[in-house]
Formats: sequence, structure tokens, C-alpha cells
Amino acid sequence: MTAGKGWWGQRRNRQLTLIACFLLPSLAIFFLYRILPLGWNVILSFESWSPLKPAAWVGFEHYVEMWSYDDVFWVSLWNTLIFIAASPLVIAAALGVALLVNSDLRGASVYRTIVFLSYPLMTVAVGIIWRWMYDERGGIINYALRASGLVDGPVGFLQSFDWALPSVIFAGVWQTIGFYMIILLTGLQSIPQNLYEAARIDGAPAYARFFRITLPMLRPSIFLCVVVGILNSFTSFDLVYIMTNGGPGHATELLITHIYKSAFEQTKFDYAAALTVVQFGLLLLLTYAANKAAGGNAGAVEQD
Amino acid sequence: MAARPSRPRLLLRHATLVAVSFVMLLPFYWVMKTAVTNENIYAYPPGIVPRDPHLFNFVDVWYLIPFPRYLLNSIVVSAIAVAGNVVLNAMAGYALTRQFPGRRAVLALFLSCMLIPFQATIIPAYLITAKMGLLNTYFGLAFPMLSTIICIFVFKAAFEAVPRSLIDAARLDGLSEWRIILRVLLPLSKPAIATNVILSFIWSWNNFLWPLLITRDPTMQTLPLGLARFLSYMEDTTGALYAFAVLVLAPSVLVFLMAQKEFIRGLTSGATKG
Repeated sequence: MTAGKGWWGQRRNRQLTLIACFLLPSLAIFFLYRILPLGWNVILSFESWSPLKPAAWVGFEHYVEMWSYDDVFWVSLWNTLIFIAASPLVIAAALGVALLVNSDLRGASVYRTIVFLSYPLMTVAVGIIWRWMYDERGGIINYALRASGLVDGPVGFLQSFDWALPSVIFAGVWQTIGFYMIILLTGLQSIPQNLYEAARIDGAPAYARFFRITLPMLRPSIFLCVVVGILNSFTSFDLVYIMTNGGPGHATELLITHIYKSAFEQTKFDYAAALTVVQFGLLLLLTYAANKAAGGNAGAVEQD
Repeated sequence: MAARPSRPRLLLRHATLVAVSFVMLLPFYWVMKTAVTNENIYAYPPGIVPRDPHLFNFVDVWYLIPFPRYLLNSIVVSAIAVAGNVVLNAMAGYALTRQFPGRRAVLALFLSCMLIPFQATIIPAYLITAKMGLLNTYFGLAFPMLSTIICIFVFKAAFEAVPRSLIDAARLDGLSEWRIILRVLLPLSKPAIATNVILSFIWSWNNFLWPLLITRDPTMQTLPLGLARFLSYMEDTTGALYAFAVLVLAPSVLVFLMAQKEFIRGLTSGATKG
């Protein structure tokens, strides 16, 4: 480009402007709905505020209240941890299915579609379906249990303090196992086949091939599944809200449902913000631990 | 794997997968069976096959609740979200294929934003939306979903796969930046567009928490809210609830079955990228 056309005339500057204009809308959305809320949550958690009264700095008051006086917080924290702790079992099951589907088995793609089919469904509808599956009279689970003589009377799965949480978790597993399977399947397919051939020539037995080749090579995919499992404790709001709304008592209360109820049912936005900070901290901590356990760089992306 | 599995092992594999498929499909069957059942759905024992199946419950859905209104709202919000995703993600994806100062920072920002679940932002997001006066509006419902990081990376990967020489040739021919995007890059990235459309449709169609927070006005509520409302005031005493659930699930199941490949590609490319 010739000089003297001014700033705008320069091709490089024109391109930079274009790039900036292209990035701005997305950046604005992520700023408004991701970055800004994160900071706002932190500030709000140190304030006493509600829509009708001015904000006042109260320091750690909400955190003290949470720690010492809020029993529901501890119950929901515990439930959230159980929710997260269930995900390694699901990932193991999904790995089993992925290994079975990854062969040249006839009909493998049909099985894959069936297992994945529940993932894109609306979670509200999934909750309604599973409420009905667990129902004492019309549900097929109780019917099967009673017809086979395993139980004498109907089991109120979602009304029972012992069974409600596992039941909700199982419904969540039903919906998400296909997603884990797809991630692991992609990981399996990226393992070079010659590794297996070399191992076979060396006479390595099947279990050794699995533990020495498959599992180590799958590490990034498994790490990703673990992160998704941790995130699920947040995203399972819909399922819990529809199936039990945290009940019976607070037996299925998760931190996210506690946050929702504190903020939007009791209008304690400030306190709910403190709860959110705690849950987000938990999420970061667990993700960091998972990353360390996976070898430190499993989440690394973009090598260029 | 190269070695042929023996016959009994093959049978065992099929048996396991059939059992898994059975568990995965049973809820679908059960809800559809209930939706077409005329009898008292609480009768015990429940029939395994529906006696004299009929579609009365589906007609009920139309009259018991403002179903057309919910449907319209869902369609409008999804359409805004899909349009926003395709346009904004393509723009951002293209920008990320270019070199510019601060590129690494923007990439790092996007990747760290992926770790912030939307649920963790609900309180300020609600307050921000209220400040902008967007509560109870279509745009407010779609706003947070107008751009998705995973889909930006889908576009970025698709644009990077276009041979450099093709773009350079177009540039030598004097095509402007806009022309290159519209005439060269986008036509070669149709699968990425399809992935964007499908993912953003399914996400906005299924979204529940956000509409729950910002729509108090019943005439602005979307299908998931309608379903939840129906559940709360009917106390699942009628088969119509399940007919409603089937109606709501049908579009996403259809979209998924028609475009399974694009859907999975989107999820896994987002996954392997970050």
C-alpha cells in the first residue's frame, strides 16, 4: 500500500479494525454474562443489599452465617459432593460402552445412537419422564420390583430420604452417559493402532494393553469427562428442580438449588451471591485437582 | 482391534449392548405409552402395552394450556439465538484465525469463560438484564445465548482448514476481506454452519433456568416453563402431561436423528479444543 493515504488507507489498520469489529459482539456478550457477573458476585457477597435498599459493606458476614448458621448450606454442599463423586462411576460405565461400541461390531452405530439419544433432550421433560418412571403406582420401576417379588409394597423413590438423591443421580446418569461415551469414543479413535500391534507382537496380554496403552492415551478425554462431571453439579439444576425441588426436606438440595431459592424465592441476593462464590471456588479447586491428577497439562490447548 | 473375537465373546458384547440399549430406551417407551393411554394412569398394575391407544391427550394439551403461545415463544427465542450464533460465532471465529495483537489474551479469555457455567452467573445476569429493561422480552431470553464459545472454535477450526493458497489467490485477485469471507470461507464451511445451527437450537430450545428467572409474564414463557407449570398445577394426574412432554421432545429428537454427525462433531471438536 502506498504511503500518504492516512491511517485508514493502510491495509493493516483496516484489517485490524475489521478484526476488532468481528470480535466485539461476542466479547461484549461474554463480558456481560460471564466476566462481569463473576466479579459482581464477589462484591455482592461482601455486601448487604436487596433491590429496595442501598448496599452496605458487611465484610464476611454472609460467609460466617453460611458456615455457622445455615444447615441447608452444609446439606447441599454434601449433596453436591455426592453428585460429583458419582461421576467417576458413570465415566467408567461410559468407557465400558465406548470400548464395546468402538470395535467393528455389527450395528455399533445403532447402539451408539441409542445411548446418545437421551443427551440432546430437554432436561425438564427428562425430569418429568423419570418422576413417572419412579412413580409408586404408574411407574414401571415399582411395577417391575413388585411383580418380581423383590419388594412387598411400593417404594416412594423420590419421597424417601434415602432413595431420593440416588434416584435423581441415576436419572442424570441416564441423560449424560451418552455424552461421556462420545468424548471417550473420540479419544479411543485417536489412539494409533500400531501401538496395539506392537504390544501384541511383544505378547502383552489384553489387560496390559488396556492399562498400559488405552488408559494413558485416553487421559485427556477422561480429564475432560471429569471436568464435565464437576460442571454437572451446577447444570443439574433443571433435573432437581423438576424431580424433587430439593425435597424431601433438603435430601436432594444442591448448592445451585439453594442459590436459586435464596435469591429468587427469598430475595436474599447478597447471601445467594456468597453461596455462588463458594460453589464456584469449589468448582475451580476440583478442576485444578483433576488437572494435577491428570498430569498437569491435560487441559492445555492451542499449541501454536 | 485386529484379532477376531471368538463367537461367544461377540455374543456377550451384543448381549451387553442390548441390555444397555434397553435401559436407555425404556423411559422413551414408558412416556409414549402413558401419553396414548386412555385409562386411569394410576391404575395398578400398569399395562405394559396401552389398551386401545388414542391421541386424545395430545388434543387435551392444546386446550388445557396455551400450548400455541409457548410454542411460538420457544420458536422465536430459538430463531434469535440460532441467527445470533451463526453470525457472531462466524465473525469471532474468523477474527481468531488472523494474527493481531492480543490474540493470545482473547483466546485465553474465551477458554477461561468456558469454565464459567451459566448457572454460576444467574444473580448478576438477572440484575444486568433487569437494568437493561429486557425482562420478559424475547431478546432478553436469547441475549446470553447469542454467542457460544464452543461454536466459535468450531468455526475457527473450519476456517483454518481452508487451504491458505486459496485465500491468497482470492486476495491476489483483488477480492475484499468481506468477499473472501462470504464467497470463499463460508461456502467451504457448511458443516460448521450446520453444527452451529443444531447446537444453538438444541441449547436454546431446552433452556429452562434462564427463562425461569426472567419471564414472570405467562404470555412470554417458553415450552420448558410451560411444562414445569403444567406439572405444578396438574400434579401429574393426567396423561396430557406426558403427551406434552412427547410433543416438546419430538423436535430435538428429530433434529438430532437427522443431523447426528454434525451434532457430535460440534460437541467433540469443542471438547478436544478445550
